[in-house]
Amino acid sequence: MPHEPGLGESVGARWRPAGFLLALPSLAVFVGVGFIPLALIATWSFWSFDPDTYWIKPAWSFASYAALLDNGRATVFLRTAGLAALTATASTLLAVPAAAVVGLLSGPRRAALLLALFTIPFFTSGLVRAFAWRLVLGRQGVINNALMSLGIVETPVEWFLFSDFAVLLGMVAAYLPFAIIPIVLAFARIEHSVIRASQDLGAGFWTLLATIVLPLVLPGIVAGFLFVFVVAVGTSMEVQLLGGAGASSISIMINDVLRVVNFPLAFAIATVVITLLTVLIIIANRALRLSRLFESLGI
Amino acid sequence: MAHSIGNGSPPGLFSQLTRRQLVQNGLLGPGALAVGSLGLPRAARALDEINFWATGTLDIGDDGWRTFAYDSGVKVEFTDNGNDPGPVVAKLAAGNANDIYDVAGLQGGSEKELARRGLIAPWDISQIQNYASVWQWAKDIPYLTHDGKVYGIPTVINADSIIAIRDKAGSVDSYGVIFDPKLKGKTAMEDAWINSVIFTAIYLKNSENAKIAEPGNLTADELGLVMEFLIKHKRDRQFRTFWNGWEQGLQLLANQEVWVMTGWEPIVYAARMRGVDCYYAVPREGYEGWANNTILLKSAVVRGRTKAAHQLVNALFSGFYGCKLGLLRGYVVPTDNNVAYATAHANAFDPAGVRKLADHVKQKFAGKIYWQNTRPDNFQLYETWWQRLRNA
Repeated sequence: MPHEPGLGESVGARWRPAGFLLALPSLAVFVGVGFIPLALIATWSFWSFDPDTYWIKPAWSFASYAALLDNGRATVFLRTAGLAALTATASTLLAVPAAAVVGLLSGPRRAALLLALFTIPFFTSGLVRAFAWRLVLGRQGVINNALMSLGIVETPVEWFLFSDFAVLLGMVAAYLPFAIIPIVLAFARIEHSVIRASQDLGAGFWTLLATIVLPLVLPGIVAGFLFVFVVAVGTSMEVQLLGGAGASSISIMINDVLRVVNFPLAFAIATVVITLLTVLIIIANRALRLSRLFESLGI
Repeated sequence: MAHSIGNGSPPGLFSQLTRRQLVQNGLLGPGALAVGSLGLPRAARALDEINFWATGTLDIGDDGWRTFAYDSGVKVEFTDNGNDPGPVVAKLAAGNANDIYDVAGLQGGSEKELARRGLIAPWDISQIQNYASVWQWAKDIPYLTHDGKVYGIPTVINADSIIAIRDKAGSVDSYGVIFDPKLKGKTAMEDAWINSVIFTAIYLKNSENAKIAEPGNLTADELGLVMEFLIKHKRDRQFRTFWNGWEQGLQLLANQEVWVMTGWEPIVYAARMRGVDCYYAVPREGYEGWANNTILLKSAVVRGRTKAAHQLVNALFSGFYGCKLGLLRGYVVPTDNNVAYATAHANAFDPAGVRKLADHVKQKFAGKIYWQNTRPDNFQLYETWWQRLRNA
């Protein structure tokens, strides 16, 4: 089947200079607000802390990057990435059936309603959401009270709160909508005629799922995973509020470092995180063509 | 006694209301306060304005600041600086805080560093008449001066120790309870080396005879000793969690997640209001004293706001501010002017309550005190050790 150009592509072919001019403000914002600060952060990460000015000086050094390997900072990177990957995996697994109901099986009105319901957690601040889990998971929390009153346990289960379990639960609950929305988009792209045709040709449920549905929604699943992963890497609230004594994450480590005005180290941590996430997104896009998600939108 | 509106003003509405009541109720807005040419009293003339960037607990609210402006002639634009001294110092050093604010208030310790880097200016004590009334031991806090000049004015003062739930922890008189294996998993400390390291150092110095000279300013070796001790207990799962901020600390107690924790005294009062029978222990090793100090930002001098800044600080010790802050938040401004003011304005404040609060804090400081220091000499080493603790 020949490739049908999207709206932007066809218009762009005919009005390239005008298109460029139209995109110029956005480009300027991207460069000014996005790229330049990131470039500065990366540059400054190679400078040195100047105790005389409490700021940094252009004395080029890899010291901050070397410091990333000391005092367990590398462990924080690995733990944060691991926790974010677990959160993203759990969120994606929960999001797929939910998104299927919204994107494939619901009409437009019901889909809009269901999507709105999934966004309810965002109506309040993340801090309040995370804090609320303490009241649910604590020694005197809803779950422990229920378990004890049912006679299932005699004493409160300690590891419900201030544990990796609590952090994971809090993060999945908070970031699940980030996974659902791109997967809903992916399901919505599936033409019902394609499904009917495959059923006419004798495809059963599992064949339909494995050969038609999953390949078509895979970019959405990967995008959902990445959305959650990126947000989870950058969060600190759930770790601070629900984690055990002194639990850490990359964001908490950056805060700790900024408290002692070690700017180059903070910049180095940020640079490594941004670089790794960018590489991850590029690889995912190359391997799975995430841009396909937007093709039906004519972008 | 409250002031009346203008001398010899005609009877009527104004004669029945005090000027303070009018200002507090917003009936005299900035426009009314700015009519200096009408020969009204000093406080009703044009106001100097100061951008006061301080810990939220120093805020006395719009009503309070209106009265403050009326009394002092300084209109305060208050901005909460978040209380964490690290970001405050960072914003002064590398941000635009000096462009925006005139006077700042933060936990003591960083004055020396900020002064060395020319980010703050010294106070001229001769312009702060009420400074003479500040309690001497508050003036003697070691971190207020640099090169013989006063950079920090101790505006709010208190001493911290341990909070304990009575029927769970029993009688507590030592920080040792935080590390007691019998309370494993039932204790907590603050997620901040600024407080938790000094508490541990105070304990080790006084109860375990550790060679520690100054718990608020540890050498590299002393710090290593203290942090290894904390790391060992963290690995033994002694701590339920490390807490951050007022509400989290309160929730830990209110829901009995922990039975003892190092923390702030106002948490005790709030927890009691939630029905928890807890108390603030008197540790035999001594308290951690702290002061929230007012500092003069260099840019205020450049902008010509030095006089107004001094007026502001002078007014902080005039009595009204101390009474209001004590009433709102239970914090103490270290001057007897508070009691005198409350006595003179018994219709607005309870003199006995103001005196009781002051005596309570004075009593704490009558014993052994180790001053909190937000910027010890090895402050960057503190952070690396704290990172090791996190990862232990």
